Amino acid sequence: MKIVKSGSRSSPSRRKFLKAGVAVAGAPWISRFAHAQGAADLGAYQSAKINWRLAEGQTVNVAVIPASYFDNLIAVTPEFEALTGIKVRYDKVPPGQIRQKVVLDMSSKTANISTHAGDPMYIPLYAANKWADELEPYLNDSKLTDKSWFRHEDIFEAWRKADMVSGKTYAIPYNGEMTIQTYRKDLYDAKGLKPAETLDDIVKNAKALHDPANRMWGFCLRGMPGAGQNMYIYPSILLGFGGKWFDSGGRIKVNSPEALAALEWYVNTNNTYAPQAAQNWNWPDIADAFAQGTIGCYIDGHSAVSVIANPERSKVMGKIGFARWPRGPKGQCASSIWNWAMPINSALPEKARQATWLFIQWAASEETQARTSYRFKGPGKRFDLNRLSMWKQPEYLKTMESAGHNFVPASIDSLTRDTNVDWRPRVPQWPAIGETMAKIIQATLVGQMKPRQALDDAQAQVERIMKGG
Amino acid sequence: MVAPGVLALAATTTFPLLYLVWQSLQNINLAMPGMDRYVGLENYVRMWDDARFWAALGFTIVYAASTVLLQLVLGLGMALLILRIPRAQWAFRIAAILPIVIAPVVAGLFWRSLMLTPDFGVVDFASKALGLGSHNWLGDPALARVSVIAIHTWQWTPFVFLYMLAALAALPSELYEAARIDRASAWRRFVHITLPLIRPAIVVVVILRMTVALSAFAAIYAATGGGPGTATEILNLYAYRVSFAELSLGYGASAAVVLLAMTMAVAAVLFGLRRSS
Repeated sequence: MKIVKSGSRSSPSRRKFLKAGVAVAGAPWISRFAHAQGAADLGAYQSAKINWRLAEGQTVNVAVIPASYFDNLIAVTPEFEALTGIKVRYDKVPPGQIRQKVVLDMSSKTANISTHAGDPMYIPLYAANKWADELEPYLNDSKLTDKSWFRHEDIFEAWRKADMVSGKTYAIPYNGEMTIQTYRKDLYDAKGLKPAETLDDIVKNAKALHDPANRMWGFCLRGMPGAGQNMYIYPSILLGFGGKWFDSGGRIKVNSPEALAALEWYVNTNNTYAPQAAQNWNWPDIADAFAQGTIGCYIDGHSAVSVIANPERSKVMGKIGFARWPRGPKGQCASSIWNWAMPINSALPEKARQATWLFIQWAASEETQARTSYRFKGPGKRFDLNRLSMWKQPEYLKTMESAGHNFVPASIDSLTRDTNVDWRPRVPQWPAIGETMAKIIQATLVGQMKPRQALDDAQAQVERIMKGG
Repeated sequence: MVAPGVLALAATTTFPLLYLVWQSLQNINLAMPGMDRYVGLENYVRMWDDARFWAALGFTIVYAASTVLLQLVLGLGMALLILRIPRAQWAFRIAAILPIVIAPVVAGLFWRSLMLTPDFGVVDFASKALGLGSHNWLGDPALARVSVIAIHTWQWTPFVFLYMLAALAALPSELYEAARIDRASAWRRFVHITLPLIRPAIVVVVILRMTVALSAFAAIYAATGGGPGTATEILNLYAYRVSFAELSLGYGASAAVVLLAMTMAVAAVLFGLRRSS
């Protein structure tokens, strides 16, 4: 198994330096446990009725982002290599660059990346260009998949659907995320506040806690522009205001009255109750500020628990509560449906595609999910498991106790009740649409544009994009 | 034996540039795989009506001109001052190297998170302490423009300083002695002796800094991502966005060609100046 950091290939000395950096920064336990687990019991995998050694001698190149949940996967990968005789080479690419890097590889058919941590919103693009294989032939091939062992249907339905186009599966979720309300339970209890059930409650609660002079801001949402940044939050609010992405004729419509109301709510609420800096913040910035005890409530990905409930970094341990997204005036605000989805690069030769499928099946299997989570031998057990059944396991619930009040129920509710697979427009043009919307949303937030004008501008741009301009 | 060298150069520089120009004449949109075709100058015509392109072009010019001017004035000023301190010059030289060796993306991130964050950052703290109040340095469009210009200037002024220090140290002292005997003031000595003598060095440093400023990317990308809105989106960032975020490779290439033409024109003018001196 080999791990490289992206961008380090050009110069050997820089690569060595980076590798050393990785080793010092967080990986000593990875290699230690990797050895310890090298001799681990493979029985649970061998009970699957397939020949794991079907693609022996192949190499699978996997692009992931530098994140602890992938570090855990990397740590148990020697077991996969021992099981299959397939070599795995990981390439760590920062989240801001992985989409571009993968699109370059897939569009030029260089096939340097066999599978990767993929954005579900890019799946329609992959499908339109036939860059990724349809996975049903793999799922239905009894030589490659033991259906009753893998149990694809056990993976969260919302995440599976987010990786499908026209009823066909193009990727398998390794892990995922939902957006939930995260609040300071101690402060709420002291003031007799309850977690918000409506968007109005959000404002009321924020007002009750807001005291910037004493470094306490009432509420915070992401301001940083990007298809995966502020456009990860605004769509949820849009749906709460009854907005839709497509009009009755199936055309994309971004400047409806509902969109205007949603954008105004987002801008007013954030500009009134969030730190001014939040106009440029992404989730790690919000999580850091919350961990420092300066934010009363925010809504963002549940994975930020790794920051806010980390005893070494957080001043608010034991004071955190979680709840679902509130309702908007015309409906439930949808939770995000995020997952790191693993597709198969269709430019690979046959044998390499089989090897890649075996890797994906192994990584998404219940056994590997458990071994990277509550049965993980190192610290930092991951909690974003891809299967609902596992979220109810006592071992898992025990691991999650320290996260805070109501974490697991709020997360499960979000994923099973508040999701809408079309919370963002799933079309091949999404990257351009997402970026366009992201720009005008932030321009409105900082006062560069007025909401109405911004949305009309965006509508004109989106119409051009849909025409192929 | 020149042929292999020329071929290697052509393969690695000329060919990709010609390919870029060819690509700028196509409609290539990865989101619409069936619609690729030759469109002639259509991408360039479209630019004419593209407000975001003009905004990017305008800010590129402001950014390049102001950062280079600031670097030159500050770098030369510092060099003139430090030149009078013969003993501890080595300490200033070492201090000057530090910002230069930082990767621009790290500089951008460091300014974004440590220095400029309102309520949390060092610059904001200083601003409040001086009674100037807290500001949203990267969130307010006008301040964000000033901030990214300041970041670039902070990082690269030391380069100009070192270059100027070397140029000044090599000047003949006899001329200055003669000027002193003629009772020429410090300002007159600077304008009539120093400036003409270091003019070639100034032209070289301006060419170097200008090409880097025009193609700047990483620090802005890390600090503001071109935001807020599109306030700090320079042409390079716009071409990147269009190509790799919006996946419109043809139009992105045409924006890159404009930037290329601009850089080459500026370099040609400056090289012309150098020759005439």
